[in-house]
Amino acid sequence: MIYRNGKTLQMKNPSLAEMFTLRARAVAARVSVASDEAAAGAVIAEERAKRGAEGVGVAHAALGIAQTGTCIVETDDEETRLQTMLPETSVIVLRADDIIPSLADAADYMRERFKDGKISYTSFITGPSRTADIERVSAIGVHGPLDLHIIIVEG
Amino acid sequence: MPQNTARTTGEYHKQIAAALDDTFLRRTLDKFAVEYRTSRDAVFAEIDGSAAIKRIADMKDAAAKRLDELYEQFKAQAERRGVKVHRAADAAEACAIIAAIAAENGVRTAVKSKSMTAEEIGLNEHLAKAGVDVCETDLGEWIIQLRGEGPSHMVMPAIHLSRGQVADEFEKATGEKQDREDVQKLVKVARRELKPKFHVADMGISGANFCIAESGAIAIVTNEGNGRLVNTLPRVHVALAGVDKLVPTVDDALAALEVLPRNATSQRLTAYTTFICGAGPCAKSPSGRKAMHVVLLDNGRSKIAADPVFSQVFRCVRCGACANVCPVFRMVGGHRMGHVYIGAIGLILTYLFHDRKIAATLCQNCIGCGSCKDVCSGGIDLPALIREVRSRLSKERGAPMLSRLASLAMKDRKVFHTLLKFMRFSQKPVAGRDGFIRHLPMALFGGQGFKSLPALAPKAFRDMWPSLRTSLDKPRLKIALFAGCAQDFAFPQHLAAAMKVFAAANVQVDFPMGQTCCGLPLAMLGETASAGEVAKQNVAAFVGEYDAIVTLCASCASHLKHGYRNLLGAAADSFSEKVMDFSSFVHDRLGLESLKLHPVGEKVAYHASCHLCRELGVKEAPRAILRAAAAYVPSKEEESCCGFGGTFSVKFPEISAELMRKKLENLAASGAACVALDCPGCAMQLGGGADKLKLGLRVAHVAEILAEAL
Repeated sequence: MIYRNGKTLQMKNPSLAEMFTLRARAVAARVSVASDEAAAGAVIAEERAKRGAEGVGVAHAALGIAQTGTCIVETDDEETRLQTMLPETSVIVLRADDIIPSLADAADYMRERFKDGKISYTSFITGPSRTADIERVSAIGVHGPLDLHIIIVEG
Repeated sequence: MPQNTARTTGEYHKQIAAALDDTFLRRTLDKFAVEYRTSRDAVFAEIDGSAAIKRIADMKDAAAKRLDELYEQFKAQAERRGVKVHRAADAAEACAIIAAIAAENGVRTAVKSKSMTAEEIGLNEHLAKAGVDVCETDLGEWIIQLRGEGPSHMVMPAIHLSRGQVADEFEKATGEKQDREDVQKLVKVARRELKPKFHVADMGISGANFCIAESGAIAIVTNEGNGRLVNTLPRVHVALAGVDKLVPTVDDALAALEVLPRNATSQRLTAYTTFICGAGPCAKSPSGRKAMHVVLLDNGRSKIAADPVFSQVFRCVRCGACANVCPVFRMVGGHRMGHVYIGAIGLILTYLFHDRKIAATLCQNCIGCGSCKDVCSGGIDLPALIREVRSRLSKERGAPMLSRLASLAMKDRKVFHTLLKFMRFSQKPVAGRDGFIRHLPMALFGGQGFKSLPALAPKAFRDMWPSLRTSLDKPRLKIALFAGCAQDFAFPQHLAAAMKVFAAANVQVDFPMGQTCCGLPLAMLGETASAGEVAKQNVAAFVGEYDAIVTLCASCASHLKHGYRNLLGAAADSFSEKVMDFSSFVHDRLGLESLKLHPVGEKVAYHASCHLCRELGVKEAPRAILRAAAAYVPSKEEESCCGFGGTFSVKFPEISAELMRKKLENLAASGAACVALDCPGCAMQLGGGADKLKLGLRVAHVAEILAEAL
């Protein structure tokens, strides 16, 4: 169960959000919960205050995948894409109702993204940038963010 | 940068000796082998792994059959979205196409993310000659680029290097003193040094894990985040991929993604999996749009797709799992396991893509344990393909002496058995009374001194048969016993013990005298035609009405059951379907409750023979027997290979010896007084090793343990 201010999470399918949280945390992402967009905005403002505006990139996820703790972000636009790559902290806002169970469930969405000659760039982001290339020692933050903060927005 | 260029066996053995002496490499790969198993099991427990693997295999098999159609569809869809698609017939053409793209766009510097295909074609060297400065940005690739080496693993290219060695390279590259202990700090050096390069580069070069035909999209699977910077910041992006990366739909790519990261690095999904569909906006490009090119490389792949045996190679998604579980890789590392591609698939691709002379040397270095086949993302029968490489090389280049001699001797049962009897006579001066040969003229058996060899038994099982045969009034079942040469001539006591068990269970046994070697050694040597002849002789020898054909040799069992179908097709069906290994026959067919057992209480460990636990998938039966007949104690890595591998132990005694030592170490640590197994080959290896190392560990067949409890 995910608790926020002592209350359990309010959403249509809490089990998906719980699974998502568990799996995202397993890959070193931070996960927090906001009751609405405004509350999410407050969390972002707090991050910016702490790390400086330059140090925080913000993006919105189109979907989340519970099984893998992944955020699917539409990064067609170069600027949005760089927001998830260059700043040391990457914040991704994910609506709880947009969490799907598994990778295979993203197929219809992806087909829509590829339809009718559309040009698109879709990023599946699962935790912060990582490597194990030196002696198989896990290290976070190679060329991408050192820190991934996912804010799940309820309702 | 190609890795292994050993064109002679002597050169190759020197490389192997150096690798075996590399204590850092040995320690790293040992640790990796054990940890990988555990973490892979954990992430596969969440999905239906075998169904997912089957799906990849079927999808890739179908794709291989309509390669041209998929290419045309991909090209049309990608070009509709502003991407230029090229098809390169070979490595030289691919390099020329990419150099031309660089020239057209005035490219002076390029940043690159990891691509095995680029290694395959030697792209960096070619672009350097064309005046393009290419910088690798994947951490591992950057390290080996600094060292002027090729990758030693397809996913972890610098796994052979220590942090100290990495620090040395970073000191040279930066001119600054580096922390030699702190890996986190070393990673940050790469972050700092490479960041400016992304911003100034004119061109980004990447691979592609999937090229999706229905939409012209490519998918790239990465972890570090360099891949996305490579295909985002520079104004030109070139993606290079083999035509085997073409898949029909996005569903196919997503299905494969369920397996690829799990198998490669035990991740549910990598940190960044990117789908690029069309040439998107690009701030640095004068047109405001990315100049995007996809180069699809053939380099023999169309021919492979049409090959009845090798088309399976198309199922490879380059996860590297075949190396991760390979006992030989664990001992010698990737630089000894492929010319460019590494692991079991590397041995095969060295033959298909690269140099046949190097392939002829490297492809011998497979012990045939089946560990790779067991985990392969595409369910490729890798050991069978490696045997096929040997077989084709024999046809193309003439068979090596060992193969020709074996073929000559084993094709004719009478010649073969006479030869064995002659060997029994000639071993007399060296054989000890307890069945071991400890002192051999080393000129004859170079490198075999790591274990005592079994002496051939004074009396073969076939000569004992008249006194052992039984005739039962109302037998419960009637079976035929397949002895296999090793048990018939060296370990008849295994078969004699089994006879006691059969008698106790009221099973009538027949021993057809026309039976000969199962032929597996010939198949392993690539002597396919002789293996087929031997198979026919055995099928003809077992025409009687039997409820089952039982063998005590796991290797024979797997060859009789699966190998014969490959060699003889449907003609082997009625024979092969009756074949059972001893443990399965007793446990599954007779049932342990049908035997009155009086457990002896001896602590017995179990060694799971490769051919039994993987090729035949038999895991529970022998352990259940040991629990019922003795005090079974589990040991570490029960299912790892003992290092025998038939002719492998003759060809690579130095590797065989190390595998054996590791195995015996684990068995000794279990505290067992005895190790039971289901294969005379393993009995020969472990029995000989335990004797040589004076471990006081008894090695027995499961049948012997069972007979002792009757």
